[in-house]
Amino acid sequence: MPMTGTANAADLDVEVHGPNGAPIAGAVVSVHLVGQPTPRPRPAGAFAVDQQDIQFRPFILTVPVGASVMFMNHDSVRHHVYSFSPAKRFELKLASRQQNQSVLFDKAGIVPLGCNIHDRMIAYVDVVDTPWAKTADANGHVALRGLPAGAVSVSIWHPYLRAPGNMILKTVTLGETGTHAERFVAPMRAPPRDPGTGY
Amino acid sequence: MQFRRAFGFRQLRTRLAVLYAGLFAIAMLCVSGLLYGVVVHNSKAQVRQELIANGTVFDRLWDQQTSQLRGAAGLLARDFGFRAAVATHDRSTIESALTNLRHRVGLSTAFIVGVDGEVTGLTEPREVQDAAALSTRLDDGVTAGVASLGGQAHKIVAAPIMAPALTGWVVFAAELDQHEMRTLERMSAIPLTAAVYLRRPDGSWGGADESASAADPSVSRFIEANWRHGGQPADIDGPNGQSIALAKPLPTIPGAPSAVLLLQYPMRLALGPYQGLEIAIAVIGLLGLALVVLATWRMARSITLPISLLDAAADKLADGQLASVPVSSQDELGRLAATFNRMSADIVEREKRITQLAFNDLLTGLPNRANFNQHIDHQLRLVDRRGGEVALLCMDLDNFKSINDTLGHPTGDELLRRIATRLSEELGDAFVARLGGDEFVLVKPFTGESGAIDELARRALAAVEGPITVGEHVLENKASIGIAIAPAYGANGNMLLRSAELALYKAKEAGRGTYRFFEESMNALAQERRALEVDLHHALANGEFELHYQPLFHLAADRVGGFEALLRWNHPTRGSVSPCEFIPVAEETGLIVPIGTWVMQEACRQAARWPDHVRVAVNVSSIQFQRPGLSHVVLQALQNSGLAPARLEIEITESIFLERSDTILQLLHTLRGLGVRIALDDFGTGYSSLSYLQSFPFDKIKIDRSFVIALESRPGAAAIVKAIIDLAGALGMETTAEGVEEQAQLAILAKQGATSIQGFLFSKAVPAAQATALLKSKLKQRAA
Repeated sequence: MPMTGTANAADLDVEVHGPNGAPIAGAVVSVHLVGQPTPRPRPAGAFAVDQQDIQFRPFILTVPVGASVMFMNHDSVRHHVYSFSPAKRFELKLASRQQNQSVLFDKAGIVPLGCNIHDRMIAYVDVVDTPWAKTADANGHVALRGLPAGAVSVSIWHPYLRAPGNMILKTVTLGETGTHAERFVAPMRAPPRDPGTGY
Repeated sequence: MQFRRAFGFRQLRTRLAVLYAGLFAIAMLCVSGLLYGVVVHNSKAQVRQELIANGTVFDRLWDQQTSQLRGAAGLLARDFGFRAAVATHDRSTIESALTNLRHRVGLSTAFIVGVDGEVTGLTEPREVQDAAALSTRLDDGVTAGVASLGGQAHKIVAAPIMAPALTGWVVFAAELDQHEMRTLERMSAIPLTAAVYLRRPDGSWGGADESASAADPSVSRFIEANWRHGGQPADIDGPNGQSIALAKPLPTIPGAPSAVLLLQYPMRLALGPYQGLEIAIAVIGLLGLALVVLATWRMARSITLPISLLDAAADKLADGQLASVPVSSQDELGRLAATFNRMSADIVEREKRITQLAFNDLLTGLPNRANFNQHIDHQLRLVDRRGGEVALLCMDLDNFKSINDTLGHPTGDELLRRIATRLSEELGDAFVARLGGDEFVLVKPFTGESGAIDELARRALAAVEGPITVGEHVLENKASIGIAIAPAYGANGNMLLRSAELALYKAKEAGRGTYRFFEESMNALAQERRALEVDLHHALANGEFELHYQPLFHLAADRVGGFEALLRWNHPTRGSVSPCEFIPVAEETGLIVPIGTWVMQEACRQAARWPDHVRVAVNVSSIQFQRPGLSHVVLQALQNSGLAPARLEIEITESIFLERSDTILQLLHTLRGLGVRIALDDFGTGYSSLSYLQSFPFDKIKIDRSFVIALESRPGAAAIVKAIIDLAGALGMETTAEGVEEQAQLAILAKQGATSIQGFLFSKAVPAAQATALLKSKLKQRAA
């Protein structure tokens, strides 16, 4: 994430685990400042959601607000990507192979992606309005750099997280320098087995 | 045996009928019971099968409906436009879509629940509330099952709305109401009832409508006991009788109360078709029972009629009557009847004989003592009741004993038979019995004068008196009769007989061949006699006897030649008792034997003190002769006293020859062999017979006092005395004249040559001490 102009010193290491200790890969960790406005992130970089093997890739994508995301169909079948989310409503009828379309996410929020043809296909784009946000790696680990000292609000989001808005929040006070380690235990629900046909 | 007593039938026939009817009834009951059991078992099994089948059908229906609804719900939930409407909270679009869906599926309730609990499509607040609660429950993954909606059990089927993440559920709710249940019932082959029950928080079960009251306790208990492992039907005792029920747990939405489907089938209905069969069995059973009773009754009659006849005949026989039954067949009963008839005749015959033996004398055929006892008791009772009197005549032949002894028992028996015949012929108006020996009794009731009894007694004596020829003997008989009148002299048979016997004794004393009536004085005498007898028993031991001695004066030697020992009894209270009184008693009781022994000893002891020329004479009773041991007694007395045998003179009377004269003679010879002298006492009285003088060489003859007393008064008496003295002299016997009291008598006797005299003229009997003094006296001094 690119740095803002304010003095920065602290780093934040976050680990997200389930109640059974398993790392929650893909959980989105975002930090907002408390008591001062959080600087807007720069919508730089290339972001893409691919459709391959009747699946969205990745499952969870974190993008700064204002970023454009490229949707690419690598399958031989058609896809009809859509979202009814308040953050972004759109439909992309990707009729054929290797057809690309770009979508601008100009509003922060969770955008669930579906395919009207293939109920199984689901993915999430988390449009964040902070420069400090990242998706956890396979070990459930996120490292955020250059955070200002003081109180910050750390949020964890995952579609299967059992909490209001599928999100848990925690306020953490960071020192001037050094790395602050934080560990989150997130209650999870089971992923839907076969969405669309019931259970 | 309680049973047998309780059913103690009087008739074999009833017993047979009841027995067979009972057996048949038991058999019928067993068959009916078995049949009923099989019917019930089969019905139950059938109903169970049906219930299980229905349960399965229900499952299938449920699943079918579920998948149908789920399909419909899923179809809507996946519709892109609908999803868009839900995602954008386009209520009007959603509601129109739901309405469309309700019509398509034919359900009244379809609604949307958002993951946030927002409900669309319901207006009822309670329903909305319940529906909102579903949002979290459905989230657990179970999307079909029973749940409560607005207080009413509903079948819920939900389909998630993925837009594309889960945003809510399309929910169908089918009310599990009466209508729904009737539909289910109609699909069953049997008329069962179906109902849904919900478990309440307290563990009881209530209907599908939560506001309704709880189910019947029996139903509630049944479900509680069976629902968890449901699937197997069981019996349930409900308020409307027994039924078979199957409690089928229904799938429920998690968090919703447990629900069951209860399929019930009343046993009444299950057994309904068999009711006709039961009635038929009952009717057949009753008809059969009636037939069995009738048939047994008729058949039993043919068996029991002869038995009844036998029974009645046996009763008759038991009463002592001659009884017989008709022999009507050749079978066992016929043979039994014939045997019974024979037996009955034999019994009557034997009874007659037994009675005869028991009550009649074998020898004469006259009634015996037992018969007499009965008869006299009967007569006494009659007298007691009707008044009047009864005479008992006790008769005894006077000389029967000697006839028996001399002519033998066969002759005696024949004589008794002949007399019995005569008595029963001549005295037909009286009851005649033989008590034993030659003792006969006659019983005759009478009223008024006892002259009739006198006449009867005379006739009885006359009947006996005629000569009777037995073999070569012509027997002249006499009898004595004692008569006692009841009730005056005998309250019972025994007393009366004793009185009569006392009278008989008196008649004998009076000289035989006559009769005497019993008088009270006889009884007093008899009592006196008995008292005497008792005292006599003690007299010897108490030393109450004493011997007195009367001197026999020897005329030629002019001195006392001997003494006759005479027994005296000095009774402590009676004073001196006369020998005439107690000697007969002593003889009768046999006491004369020990008394006689004492006399012999005492007399010899006394005589041994006297000078050698003085003898002692001792009287010996005929009883003593009859008992063994007399010679031993004599020998003992002689040895003890040291008296010379020749100084002992034994005086006997002729009466000893009445019995077994051969034995007596032998005994006399034995005594003579000892050297003892034998004198014949009281000569000239009783049965005096010169043949005795010939048969035994007596040493002395004592001339009876009656002749001596008559010497002066009666002409011829002197001649008799002279003849006796001469006879004795010729036979070499001495003579003693007894009872000499007068000088004149002495003069005659001396002139005629009597050896010695005895009597008051010289001295009466005196105690031993005075006797010694008399030895020196002379006749002339004494008689002066």
